[in-house]
Amino acid sequence: MRVRIDGENCSGHGRCAKYAPNVFRLDDDGYNADRGNEIDVPAGEEDKALLGIKACPERAISIVDA
Amino acid sequence: MNDNRSAMEADPEINPDVLKSRFGRDIARDFDLDDPRFNEQFDETLNFMVRKCPVVHSQVGTGYYLVNTQDEVRRIAQDWRTFSSAKGYQPNRPEGLPYLMPEESDPPIHTKWRHKLNPHMSPKTVAAYEQPIRDDVNALIDTFIGKGECEFISEFGALLPGWAFFKNILGVPVDDLPMLVEGVEEGTFGPPEERAGHFARVFEYLDTHLKWRQTQPRRGDLIDTIQDGVTYEDGTEAPWEHKVSILVDLTFGGIATTTFVMASAIHHLANNPDVRQRLIDDPSLIENAIEEYTRFFPPVVALGRTCTRDVEVAGTEMKEGDFVMLTYAAASRDPRHMDEPDKIDITREGIPHSTFGVGPHRCIGSNLARIELITTLEEWLKRIPDFSVKPGTEPRHVTGFLRSIRELQLVWPT
Repeated sequence: MRVRIDGENCSGHGRCAKYAPNVFRLDDDGYNADRGNEIDVPAGEEDKALLGIKACPERAISIVDA
Repeated sequence: MNDNRSAMEADPEINPDVLKSRFGRDIARDFDLDDPRFNEQFDETLNFMVRKCPVVHSQVGTGYYLVNTQDEVRRIAQDWRTFSSAKGYQPNRPEGLPYLMPEESDPPIHTKWRHKLNPHMSPKTVAAYEQPIRDDVNALIDTFIGKGECEFISEFGALLPGWAFFKNILGVPVDDLPMLVEGVEEGTFGPPEERAGHFARVFEYLDTHLKWRQTQPRRGDLIDTIQDGVTYEDGTEAPWEHKVSILVDLTFGGIATTTFVMASAIHHLANNPDVRQRLIDDPSLIENAIEEYTRFFPPVVALGRTCTRDVEVAGTEMKEGDFVMLTYAAASRDPRHMDEPDKIDITREGIPHSTFGVGPHRCIGSNLARIELITTLEEWLKRIPDFSVKPGTEPRHVTGFLRSIRELQLVWPT
């Protein structure tokens, strides 16, 4: 699974990293460290990643390749 | 007027007389956040609006709109170019109230400040405050556990958020908390003509505090970061008034809001022994329960934006200069995005709520608030596992663009 984190709409809610800490990393501001980029979801972490994507109040994370 | 709006107008449930008999006024065409009926019928009103009225209008003062669905609230909150925060977040803003940075500004000014302030409130930074906050939770419980009863707001709920924020972040003496709480509360819920005066006292106090800190050695804390300031796009340095207003904004957010979620969660647990027992049996559920309580009990009902151009929102034509409130409280219970949104389900997963706002102005204290709420439930349930609302009493709510509980009497066996 490959996902894209929107560069402008991530607002630092931190929900993605709370639900999927092995997928999403936060920077020192508490925003997604990979915003503006695509990342690969490690195998076995897909369900957690989906929960993190769902919980984002900004809908800032989209699935590029399921 | 497009189909969306026409459908609303044709709906018999939205007939003015039907609305007047149900809600005391035509809430689709003349909503009033300060109407006592909204306070009393809070849940019913939100549930109705999010399902039936994507947009309602108010004729109070110079008038304003409320936008109630999750998708529209998100779209507007993220589109800061069309929906500006620079004219303030409350409708019919009190005269003479200085604008609060960074909440009442737009990018790039807003971005400059947030980038400076965010590291002081990030998950990593506030994690270090968890133990001190947990100690304060216990210190407060110590003061009343032996008597078998408490008035939760004045003895716990109005204190802990202030302690957490003042002791760990702001460095303001906690003895001054009651004065600031009163200023913020009265400035929000008091008679509209008196609100600016109450805020003025808060400004004056924090202005003095900031000046005093200039005479002190640097601590490398949030206050020093504010003192250091930022340089705006046009090359000018942020003025003193902006720095004071940041302190006011942070204080306002830090003490006027979390209390409501905390008290509402405790109230719900007092009335639902089965939920309480589940959390006692498995404290790992508490974190998710807090997320659900935060969704369901929003201290910030709605915050506003000003249209920078003519724009259509869910079929309603808005004009440049119109004021539009984002009803976060309604958006967090949008049935288009969750099952049974009117029910509290502490096991609801991946809760997409907007209680901390949406868009670049997301509540900067959200990470701190979650720690306060989680530690409160964890310690409370350990020490006072069996409690209920004092017979013959009922909590008293107050609502405007914020919502709060003024009194919650609890009892437990000693």
